[in-house]
Amino acid sequence: MSGGGPPRKRNFKIEEFKNRVELNPKYAERTWKVLEHAIHEIYNHNASGLSFEELYRSAYNMVLHKYGEKLYGGLESTMTRRLKEISRSIEVAQGGLFLEELNTKWMDHNKALQMIRDILMYMDRTYVPSSSRTPVHELGLNLWRDHIIHSPMIHSRLLDTLLDLIHKERMGEVINRGLMRSITKMLMDLGPAVYQDDFEKPFLEVSASFYSGESQEFIQCCDCGNYLKKSERRLNEEMDRVSHYLDAGSEAKITSVVEKEMIANHMHRLVHMENSGLVNMLIDDKYDDLARMYNLFRRVTDGLLTIRNLMTSYLRETGKQLVTDPEKLKDPVEFVQRLLNEKDKHDKIINVAFGNDKTFQNALNSSFEYFINLNNRSPEFISLYVDDKLRKGLKGATEEDVEVILDKVMMLFRYLQEKDVFEKYYKQHLAKRLLSGKTVSDDAERSMIVKLKTECGYQFTSKLEGMFTDMKTSQDTMQDFYAKKSEELGDGPTLDVHILTTGSWPTQPCPPCNLPPEILTICDKFRSYYLGTHSGRRLTWQTNMGTADIKATFGKGQKHELNVSTYQMCVLMLFNSTDGLTYKDIEQYTKIPASDLKRCLQSLACVKGKNVLRKEPMSKDISEDDTFYFNDKFTSKLVKVKIGTVVAQKESEPEKQETRQRVEEDRKPQIEAAIVRIMKSRRVLDHNSIVAEVTKQLQARFLPNPVVIKKRIESLIEREFLERDKTDRKLYTYLA
Amino acid sequence: MGRGTRDKVQQFVAITGASEKVALQSLKASDWHLEGAFDVFYSQPQVAVTNSRNLEDLYSIYKEPDADMIMVEGVSQLCEDLQVDPQDIVMLVISWHMKASTMCEFSHEEFIRGLQSIGVDSIEKLREMLPSLRAELKDDQKFREIYNFAFSWAKEKSQKSLSLETAIGMWQLLINERRWPLIDSWCQFLQVRHNKAISRDTWSQLLEFVKTIDPQLTNYDEEGAWPYLIDEFVEYLIENGVVSK
Repeated sequence: MSGGGPPRKRNFKIEEFKNRVELNPKYAERTWKVLEHAIHEIYNHNASGLSFEELYRSAYNMVLHKYGEKLYGGLESTMTRRLKEISRSIEVAQGGLFLEELNTKWMDHNKALQMIRDILMYMDRTYVPSSSRTPVHELGLNLWRDHIIHSPMIHSRLLDTLLDLIHKERMGEVINRGLMRSITKMLMDLGPAVYQDDFEKPFLEVSASFYSGESQEFIQCCDCGNYLKKSERRLNEEMDRVSHYLDAGSEAKITSVVEKEMIANHMHRLVHMENSGLVNMLIDDKYDDLARMYNLFRRVTDGLLTIRNLMTSYLRETGKQLVTDPEKLKDPVEFVQRLLNEKDKHDKIINVAFGNDKTFQNALNSSFEYFINLNNRSPEFISLYVDDKLRKGLKGATEEDVEVILDKVMMLFRYLQEKDVFEKYYKQHLAKRLLSGKTVSDDAERSMIVKLKTECGYQFTSKLEGMFTDMKTSQDTMQDFYAKKSEELGDGPTLDVHILTTGSWPTQPCPPCNLPPEILTICDKFRSYYLGTHSGRRLTWQTNMGTADIKATFGKGQKHELNVSTYQMCVLMLFNSTDGLTYKDIEQYTKIPASDLKRCLQSLACVKGKNVLRKEPMSKDISEDDTFYFNDKFTSKLVKVKIGTVVAQKESEPEKQETRQRVEEDRKPQIEAAIVRIMKSRRVLDHNSIVAEVTKQLQARFLPNPVVIKKRIESLIEREFLERDKTDRKLYTYLA
Repeated sequence: MGRGTRDKVQQFVAITGASEKVALQSLKASDWHLEGAFDVFYSQPQVAVTNSRNLEDLYSIYKEPDADMIMVEGVSQLCEDLQVDPQDIVMLVISWHMKASTMCEFSHEEFIRGLQSIGVDSIEKLREMLPSLRAELKDDQKFREIYNFAFSWAKEKSQKSLSLETAIGMWQLLINERRWPLIDSWCQFLQVRHNKAISRDTWSQLLEFVKTIDPQLTNYDEEGAWPYLIDEFVEYLIENGVVSK
């Protein structure tokens, strides 16, 4: 072709070479020899003396002239031969040098392979795909795998060496991690199957038996906390190992081996370990140990379930003992406080160590629900606790403190099955608090009512609120009474009346007693005033619930102000006209019922520091033959002496029976109403379904007894609200 | 039976004097046409024709002198004439046929209607019928009807429940027909533990209990919706070792 000046504008045609240049076979052979030599030189680290361009062109020509097969085959056999030599050199390496030699040779091979691939790039791109052969790089790797890794002399030795090093590291020695990294990377490069079959699988097996042995050893000599610490350490070690010199895919596999051998296989033994197991950790608030246990057990199937089950049965057992131990039941307030403390303690454990896990919270709740209801006095005691707090316990507390305590009490309340029993007692205790004026804070009282209303609905608290309303109204009424009638009353005793609406307050039948004449006068005045403004109402004096303040002068002229109950006032006023009275006299004049009278006299005559009356004979109990005298010699350091007893306290056995009976009576109409409601909408229903539905409807208040439900159904059949189906005995029909 | 059909039956009985059973048969055969029923009836060999005049005469023998009822004396005279004990259960069966509302009393209508339905109009004929009346107790369906009828019949008119004493007496009479081994334990249990009147539901359910539950209580099901009194009876039996569980 002519070069030189710019191309002239005329039709230029480049013609094909007419003579085809054939690569004659000898030439091909020669070209191959050149390349073969080059390959060897490359392996001998003598590549610098080679010309890349020339070699590339040679390879190119061979392929172009259809000698690709020869080239490929030659490459394969040359490399194979070379690798066999390399294999031998690795085999003879001694001890620690074995791995190094292998690594070094691998590095070399890779470098060589790269260069060879570059040289043979054209073949790789044309001949290889068209003849479906393995590409050069991959070929190089496969040959390495087949002739080095899988060579009988190297294969097992490699595996053993690797495993041995890992074992040493587990036993505390330092090993060459970089070298390990390199080797495992090599195996991965050769294909995941190589890594897994030739290393990972045996590695996992060996690790399993290693940890199996170690865990046996530890569990014999360590306590639970230490064992868990060791397990955690081993787990972290393995994860560290993987990140440094194993393939990332191995992490999940090796950790599950450790988890299985060290945790899963010994789960039960660990939690149940004497003196150091789960229960001891709970008792001693070992937050760190518990958190560790939680995190480790979380990794294995049923790990958390195991912990939760043991915790639940421990809580139930402990709780059961708490509520059935007669010693612990002597003081209701302390009893409830202990319950709250247990709850707080375990709440904290779940919060700090178990990451607020909801399933554990639920287990805690269900355990508490179980044992609180084992003692059927729990509702009464919880009400007494609240009573104590509202009367004095919360004195001086801030608004937040009050809320916190009441919220905790509400938590216990929620566990109660017999909420209607609680309601009855709460009403009684509230009544006493309101009437004796002994409540720490009106706001606290109201806050409690609001909480109960939120929990149980309006019906639960409507009567309680009625009680508060009555107190307020009474105040207003008294103000009005004194404003209007002050001249009429003159110097008589001052009256403070609480007017109670019958439906809202706990009902107590109250036989009348004879009030002293001074009191009677003013009471009548009040009655006529009240009925004057509220016609159609009936007032009954509840003499068993009142109090009085009396000024008394004793022998040496000391004046005291006595705070007493109404009954006590009636008794004391009798002594204004005489110094001595027999029991029978007192009974006759006052008409107070015998048991109340005895209690009243006992508190006036037999209590040290409060004996404003003297009794003959001097004994602790009141008998009907006793005589009583005004105690001139009474002394007290206090000017104001409190003798009345209107404080809420734990009920006596007979009182308890009575209350329970009333509760049972109250439940009957509720059950019947539920049955009628259900049958009205369902029309026809079988017995078991009725029982289930009724239970569901009433469970917010109490747990109905299936026998009672059955009796109510029969009563409703009697009264022709329901009838039994004629063919199927178990079916009932609603009679409209 | 619908009201229309019941009317037809009554009319038929009134006119022909036949028993209810025959009336039903004839009416059914004639597809509830009264005229056709008469044909059927008269063309058949007569089974039991009652003469209403005889019935009235019979009634006046036993009725109270100054009331339109047969009372205690009349009843005991009747029993004497029939040669049965007044406590005999066949009297209950007769009362059932009469649909008597209270024991020891028969109203005019009850008496006439009852004897018509049995198909007799004289003492002799009634006496002859006694065995077949007794046999009616063996029929399951009839027994149940008679048993349930006995409750309303034996109780005080103004009460809803049956007094315990009367109930026990009735039970011993009736349940004996069934030969229930636990009848004595049942009566004992009631006297010791319950001591109150018996409700209708309990009464009728006891028969079911006797019929379906075996005396060893092997197939007693606590979830079986039995009246609570029966549940308590089962507990009583177990407590006293009469049955084992």
